[in-house]
Amino acid sequence: MKKIVYGALATLSGLVLLFSYRTSLGENLVPTPTTGAPGGAATAPTGPTDATTGGASSAGAGGASTAGTSLQDGTYTGGVAQTPYGAVQVRVTVSGGRLTAVDVPQYPNGTPRDAQINQYAVPQLVSETTSAQNAQIDMVSGATFTSEGYLQSLQSALDQAAP
Amino acid sequence: MTAAWARRVWVENLMGTTVSIHVIGTADDTTPDAVAASIEELRDLERVFSPFLPDSDVSRIRRGEAAIASADPRVAQVAQGCVEAAQATGGLFDAWWQGWFDPTGYVKGWAVDAVARRHLAPLIRRPGIVAIGIGAGGDLRLHTAPGADWTWHIGIADPERPGAVLATVDVREGAVATSGTAERGAHIVDPRTGAPATAVRSATVVAPDLVTADVWATAAVVAGDLGWIGRAPSTTGMLVRDDGSTRRWTRGVEISLAAAS
Repeated sequence: MKKIVYGALATLSGLVLLFSYRTSLGENLVPTPTTGAPGGAATAPTGPTDATTGGASSAGAGGASTAGTSLQDGTYTGGVAQTPYGAVQVRVTVSGGRLTAVDVPQYPNGTPRDAQINQYAVPQLVSETTSAQNAQIDMVSGATFTSEGYLQSLQSALDQAAP
Repeated sequence: MTAAWARRVWVENLMGTTVSIHVIGTADDTTPDAVAASIEELRDLERVFSPFLPDSDVSRIRRGEAAIASADPRVAQVAQGCVEAAQATGGLFDAWWQGWFDPTGYVKGWAVDAVARRHLAPLIRRPGIVAIGIGAGGDLRLHTAPGADWTWHIGIADPERPGAVLATVDVREGAVATSGTAERGAHIVDPRTGAPATAVRSATVVAPDLVTADVWATAAVVAGDLGWIGRAPSTTGMLVRDDGSTRRWTRGVEISLAAAS
């Protein structure tokens, strides 16, 4: 029983620590787990929580956090943030210890353009991936590649790699 | 996850940069024509808009030898877009800040968008072609056939390490632009003060079109923070600050993700 409680604590602390959303209005949102977080859904924290404090203290209590590898698999849904163009809610998917998707399940009623935006994933830092060198890259976005800069760029290498 | 599709690539130097066009799937014999038409249109736009060509419309307007209204009609179109961009960004982007009309920061995205829409996007309706992407100096416009088993895995260049990728972002349909100070001491000037913007090394914006992505990537560098994301059209993206730290957002909401340590 004690073990189970610890497990739930670790999961919750992971959530609070790992996912903190700040809206453009400066509002703090603490996401609540929806799936894949055993024991978490029933006791999700409510209301704004200081992410750093919550994470640091419970990481000690739960003992489950290890540097860089503490993302727990599952899908987590944030609270609803009010933005000038409507309510926005963000859903994060963690799989295999890495952030695999950030979706926006709730967005303002609107045009197909809005629906299209909804498909965009948030940029994922290479340091968050388990195998940076295996990240298959098709094209590169960078600041102002001059023709000279292009020759040293990854884009150049990718262009040449194609048959 | 994604099937192994064939890929053909065309590379061309123009507009002071290098343009790459990638066609995913089986290119048919109309593909080279569409690519050639794209390159030709970009060269034509360069003749009109380049500030480095003394006979371009933009150069003649700057010298007072022509007016926006009497120049190539596409100049007025771009000027209107620049006015709208200045209004939307609250002056973070301003093609007139030096006292004359310099649409350089707008034209590349606009030109690539136009060319992609006219010549390249139609290719994804051809049998066998699943996706096309065009990149010009790190600004990308990407199209994918609906339902195709394809997603563009886009690398975001590390502003500190040439050739290295700092992050990746997956896009099926849309545009990715990055502005910043990564290369050869290039800098972006705050049009409100005339001083170089230094708080952000690079800003990458994902948007439905490249004009939006490009304008707001520049605006983000000038802004130096994310205060603008709530009033911009909804975008997704990432800033790299001058201390190397990053900030990311989607649809007006900043996402901060920190692993326990």
